[in-house]
Amino acid sequence: MSIDQSARAALAVRGVRKTYEAGSAAVRALRGVDLTVSDGEFVALMGPSGCGKSTLLHLLAGLDRPDEGTIAVAGTRIEDLGAQRLARLRRRHVGLVFQFFHLIEHMSALENVALAALVAGARPAEATTRARDLLDTLGLLDKSGELPGALSGGQRQRVAIARALANRPTLLLADEPTGALDSDGAAEVLDLFQRLHRAGQTILMVTHDREVADGAQRRVRMRDGRMLADDEPSLVHEIPASLRAGT
Amino acid sequence: MAVETPSEARAAVLAVARAELRRRHRALLLVALVMGLAGGIVLGAVGLAERTVSAYPRLVDAVRLDDVRASVPSDQPRFAEAVPTLPGVAGSRHADLWVAQVEGGPALRFLGIGAGELAPADIATPVIVEGRAVDPAAADEVVVSEQIAADSGFAVGAELRLTLLTLEDVSHFDVGFTPHGPSATVRVVGIARMPSWGNALPHTLAGPAFAARYADTASARSYFLRLENPAGTAAFTAAHSRAEQAAAATEPSIVARYVPGSLAFPRLDVDPAVRTAEQALLVGLSLFALVVGLGGLQVVGQGLLRLGAEGRSAQRVEAVLGMTRGQRVAARTLAALPAALVAGVLGSAIASAAGVLEPLGSQARFEPAPGFRPLWGLAVGGGVALAALFLLMTAGATLLAARPRGIVAGSAPPSLPRTVLRTWARRWPAVLLGSRLAVHGRTARRGLPAMASILAAAAAVAGIVAAVTVGASLTRLVETPQRYAAGADLHLVDAREPDVAALVADPRVTALATTSSATLRTSDGRELGATAVDDRKGEPPLELASGRAPASSGEVAVGPRLADELGLGIGDVLAVRGPGGEQVPLTVTGTAVLPTGSSAALGEQLLLTADAMDLVQRSEPIRDAYIYTAPGTADAVYGELGQNLEIFPREVPESVRNLTDLVRLPELLALVLTLVAGTGLVHVLLTSARRHAREMAVFSVLGATPAQVRATLAVLAGSTVVPALVVGVPLGLGVARVLWHRIATTVGVAGDPAVPVGVIAAVAGVVLVGALLVAVVPGRRAARTSPALALAAG
Ligand SMILES: Nc1ncnc2c1ncn2[C@@H]1O[C@H](COP(=O)(O)OP(=O)(O)OP(=O)(O)O)[C@@H](O)[C@H]1O
Ligand SMILES: [Mg+2]
Repeated sequence: MSIDQSARAALAVRGVRKTYEAGSAAVRALRGVDLTVSDGEFVALMGPSGCGKSTLLHLLAGLDRPDEGTIAVAGTRIEDLGAQRLARLRRRHVGLVFQFFHLIEHMSALENVALAALVAGARPAEATTRARDLLDTLGLLDKSGELPGALSGGQRQRVAIARALANRPTLLLADEPTGALDSDGAAEVLDLFQRLHRAGQTILMVTHDREVADGAQRRVRMRDGRMLADDEPSLVHEIPASLRAGT
Repeated sequence: MAVETPSEARAAVLAVARAELRRRHRALLLVALVMGLAGGIVLGAVGLAERTVSAYPRLVDAVRLDDVRASVPSDQPRFAEAVPTLPGVAGSRHADLWVAQVEGGPALRFLGIGAGELAPADIATPVIVEGRAVDPAAADEVVVSEQIAADSGFAVGAELRLTLLTLEDVSHFDVGFTPHGPSATVRVVGIARMPSWGNALPHTLAGPAFAARYADTASARSYFLRLENPAGTAAFTAAHSRAEQAAAATEPSIVARYVPGSLAFPRLDVDPAVRTAEQALLVGLSLFALVVGLGGLQVVGQGLLRLGAEGRSAQRVEAVLGMTRGQRVAARTLAALPAALVAGVLGSAIASAAGVLEPLGSQARFEPAPGFRPLWGLAVGGGVALAALFLLMTAGATLLAARPRGIVAGSAPPSLPRTVLRTWARRWPAVLLGSRLAVHGRTARRGLPAMASILAAAAAVAGIVAAVTVGASLTRLVETPQRYAAGADLHLVDAREPDVAALVADPRVTALATTSSATLRTSDGRELGATAVDDRKGEPPLELASGRAPASSGEVAVGPRLADELGLGIGDVLAVRGPGGEQVPLTVTGTAVLPTGSSAALGEQLLLTADAMDLVQRSEPIRDAYIYTAPGTADAVYGELGQNLEIFPREVPESVRNLTDLVRLPELLALVLTLVAGTGLVHVLLTSARRHAREMAVFSVLGATPAQVRATLAVLAGSTVVPALVVGVPLGLGVARVLWHRIATTVGVAGDPAVPVGVIAAVAGVVLVGALLVAVVPGRRAARTSPALALAAG
């Protein structure tokens, strides 16, 4: 893989290793991960429990630092950035969605979304407009004044996705976004991801659910802290091109 | 281990209890120690409050206080003999009274001495708190009241050289004399305690031998009576007054003009200042106990909730294995039993140890049994209650942890923060998030709403502000004699015109006022003291609490305590009866505090013009002079005049003296409040990062920089203390105003509080700056914690 290609990719991971010190034992969570996600791709990351999927996502979001290897998000190498620069990178390039939503319980749906825009420096009016538009797009405009506690799981997850999208991130990372949802909720979320994907959003989604994974454009697998071969390696380079043509 | 039969269930409960105990005994013990400490302090405070409030009634019981105390001049022996036989009297004891001149003192002094029967001992027998009682056979032994011991420095072992006054001497009180009675040297053998002294019960008491030796110079006889019906004083008073009138006709008394007979009801006439002090102390102690109790509950509650939350996954496993919720709770409650015992025993021990504390403040002077006085019932019962509460709280925390994860439900947050924050605060996301968490967050995952912290902080601030304000008002009163009308350096009793004229001419005297005091009757028959003031030199200050001094014979200024008692305000009319029975209406122009002279109660007198005095006085007025001297000359003037005149340096009235003992109390209370509430607040702020770890992690995920995370926690701290200050300071000032007005009025002085603006500003500043500084610690911690970890845990 050439440097040019890495630079164009939304995400390029090379030889990333991460070891946790858990008490006396060292847990080698990542043992040399390579992964490239091109602009506009929708990738499902699968693998058994404990293989390091969440760890990888956290590294990609700059919430933690790799011991070895390089990570480039939207062409920027992040593994050596300071906390301040990492925070700025997250604002502009990374949206994160979690299994358990992690909404702020004391803020309305609208405020949860607007908060993300505010953090990125949007003026209040602009943040509110953007949040309202997003909730509208996600079919939640009538719920914008509700506290998360008053929403269903699927609705909460959609608010969380709206929040992740508030700053139009280069990369949407999702860690088992359907894991806490019933099949209807899961279908809602997957449908939403597919819509986003069609609109050109780059998505990397961790999932245990075969069906959900099938909804993605590409599937990659991990085991014991390493990547396995792609399910459909042939498609990797074609789809982004077609997508770009489509938008 | 699938749990099915009862014996299996018991075994399962025991096994879980053992495991819990093994894993959590340290943490449980720690929480139990806090519980025992806080609970013990609360129990101790309750015990102390009981001891303080019960001191006066216990002393009344201990001394077997008389229902009636009457004295009769000794030149009315038949009237005297009649007193114990008046209707309604169930028992009596008597003593004779002497007036003696004390030799060798710095100024002319007279002393009342009582001596006589020591039996029956179940009526009016003072408690000896130091030394011993008088030996009945010794004519040269006396016990003295604590008051006179303190005022005149009569310690046990002191010798007093006295010259007794004869009846003849007493009858020349107004024209001057040298005493003609025998000399007596007596030794102080004990210090005595009594709820009420004075008049018929002199501050110096001798025994039967003294009474026998000096019988012929006694000037009056005192009776201490027990009534069949202690409340039936009206019948007794009527009978007494009939007997007195009869005696006036058959055996007219000369002595009575100078040492008049007296009638008092010690059980009923409790100085309101005693009640005020009692109430102030009770309120103070209750507040203290409440603060410590709530603080302790908060810490214990949070500790147990945390333990419960830590055991949540273990509970899930047990549930899967078939243990019911009741069994899981039982197991954990069982495991908490040893810790509960520790809490109970520690609480009991502290409560018992608190038995060494004497009644607080002025009430210590009424304690009949100084020393260790534990309340065993309270200590044991309280200890059991503490242990039970600990178990209950453990069970509650376990139950809460067993519930499925709670989610905050409800509609949008109230609009207040929204509208307030809409315009500017949202600009800065840290402000939006921090203030939201402060107002809507919780102190623990299932703890109290964070609003409770704000309310608690507001209450604490109000308490501190109220305490320092009342404290400052107390201090100002005690340190400003003018406020209790004792601004004069010297007080001359029975001021005769030549002496006054000489003082006016004395260049060391800068100002001098004479007062004429007499009694008058209101139209509904109440007897009141009235005074007219005559400024003879300079501008002696008059202590006006409100309004102005009377300017004409139709006007009056009323003492604050009396005004409160009679419900009189400026512009009201007080109807007074002249000596001939004619009505004299007096319009109230204000409230004024007058010097208490030798016997009046503070704030109970009327201030009249000299003309009005002439219209209404019932007896010859007594003239006193109040002398203001140039700085540094008071001692010299006192020394010169004291040789021949009954002159006193500045005297502090009883009710003010009661308060003097309380001066430290509000400060102490403010300090305790500061410590407890401060610790609680610091704890809340320090743990804010842990409580809001998830929110802070989410904030980071959204791209907040470490600085923004720190700022959010600072805003959280600020949003907790700023509303607390905004609400607490005015509330505290309001409470202090009401409280101080109450206290001041009962004491008899002006009710305007002294607001220590500097102290309050400093409190507010320290709270605000302190909270922001304290917030730095969790801010740094939060900025350091990996959001990934927090999200995984949350
Ligand atoms: N903060 C940490 N400290 C110590 N060990 C950790 C930490 N985070 C993860 N691990 C360990 O690293 C390994 C990988 O964990 P990770 O959470 O990435 O797995 P995962 O693939 O997301 O699993 P799952 O599908 O169950 O979510 C696991 O063995 C886990 O126990
Ligand atoms: Mg995971």
